Amino acid sequence: MKALTARGLTKVYRKGKQPALDSLDLEIESGQIFTMLGRNGAGKTTFLRIASTQLLPTSGSVTVLGLDAVKEAKALRERIAIAPQEAETIYPLTPRDHVLLGLRMRGMEKEEAAKRAREALEDLELTDVADTNSDWLSGGLKQRVIVAMVVRTDADLIFLDEPTIGLDPVNRRRVWDQLTRLKRTGKTIILTTHYMDEAEALSDSLVIINKGKVMAAGTPRSVKAAVTSRTTRVDVFDSFDRSELGAFGHVVTIAGRYRVLTDASGARRLGDEAVARNASIAISPVTLDDVFVDIVGEAEREGENGS
Amino acid sequence: MGARKTLRSLWAIMYYLGFTPMIRNPLFMAFVFSTPFTLLFILFVASNGTALPYGLAGALTMITTELGLFVGTDLASYKLQNRFQDMVVASPVSPLIYMFGVALSELIFGAPALIILFGLIAGQGASLAALVSCLGVVILLWVTTTSLGFFFSAYAPNTQNAFIINGFITTMLSVLPPVYYSVNVLPPYLVPLAVVIPTTEASSLFQGAIGLGYSIEPAWGFGALLAATFIMLLAVSFRMKWRES
Repeated sequence: MKALTARGLTKVYRKGKQPALDSLDLEIESGQIFTMLGRNGAGKTTFLRIASTQLLPTSGSVTVLGLDAVKEAKALRERIAIAPQEAETIYPLTPRDHVLLGLRMRGMEKEEAAKRAREALEDLELTDVADTNSDWLSGGLKQRVIVAMVVRTDADLIFLDEPTIGLDPVNRRRVWDQLTRLKRTGKTIILTTHYMDEAEALSDSLVIINKGKVMAAGTPRSVKAAVTSRTTRVDVFDSFDRSELGAFGHVVTIAGRYRVLTDASGARRLGDEAVARNASIAISPVTLDDVFVDIVGEAEREGENGS
Repeated sequence: MGARKTLRSLWAIMYYLGFTPMIRNPLFMAFVFSTPFTLLFILFVASNGTALPYGLAGALTMITTELGLFVGTDLASYKLQNRFQDMVVASPVSPLIYMFGVALSELIFGAPALIILFGLIAGQGASLAALVSCLGVVILLWVTTTSLGFFFSAYAPNTQNAFIINGFITTMLSVLPPVYYSVNVLPPYLVPLAVVIPTTEASSLFQGAIGLGYSIEPAWGFGALLAATFIMLLAVSFRMKWRES
């Protein structure tokens, strides 16, 4: 069963020159963790805001949990929850107050809300600071408070817009654990992120979007496999020009160094050449990060050439 | 959302956005008290107590106006800074319940000041009927200024501007017009301008109830205040942006 279906979804902001979403088609299965990957301004938040009934599309349709997000927004709002991007805690509420506010404003009874608030605070390891003024908490703790406000709601589908932004690796994994737990309870999670490792570790399926268009979609494995001829990456530290490396595979520039995305034989040939030149290289399998940079970088270059 | 859930929702918004902050940080209350009671004190001292009734009518008008307009600042903050409104929109909470909850939460901050002012007005010898009519005027003025707060919050590009705009409008509505003084002391050419301002009508009605005599015909005052309330509610309903386009 589909949790979300978008058809030709387009959004052009009044002051925008380019569409934020450009005829986007998308399908998301129920009970999955689905990730949207993209650069800043790629259209991820716009998509989430339309699907979560906060923003009207310019054209196209989006059906969430079988309900039209435009025409049946009221019914849909009973079944969704969102942790928005860059949300801030409210002074002088404590983490417990925030979670209780999130639950009780949805009409939950006091006792049930108190029980779920305790669970949410435990889930996000906020129990020790549950009754501390949120203003005194670190940025990472505040971010977890925002996530805690939605994880124990009775929503069937939860949107999380960059829920781990600004969190250290340990805290990111705490949030990941909760998203995995939520998935086990049958909920659908739709999140946006910049972190490729997050998408790779969590997602049942994902989409890479750029300038409002879908660049790649599928499971993390299938998206990586979409660049089947580029299963291996070779980081080249010295002794090669970009033009020379083009003979071994697709070259991208990472922090001023060249990375060649290639297949096993290309990597072998480049390795032999590096030995002959006494050059430093490092060979490893491609990651989602490489695929992202490859796909988005390619689109950027096409855009530059076209304009 | 059924009726019981709706009431729980309204209570939660009021409790966590109004009552809890007031208990945790009583400075919020002091902020509401500060300007109206300062002006009341200045009038009281400068007039050797004779202008106290005008001060009371003015303070009641100003606090009610502040409480309404602060709603706009709160809404701008919840929308633009905390992003709390995004969470509310994508939830079963209706726009009306959210607005009403935020407005009532603001009223909670002002409740102690309003209680003190009603006590002082009663101490001036106002009858029960006069106090009830004052309460009615407070409610009408609160709805009008709350709607005005909503209206401006929809245009505020950021929380700083919302704060500045609402502070400016509070002064324009409750210090400059005949709120702490009688409309009769204005030069005649300014009177028509003053009587179209809802705070002038409200203060005149308070002044009458306290026993200073009505400087504007009470029926006209109530009528004008009701009309202002209706117009502002209408303006808000057209301008309200729950789902953005």
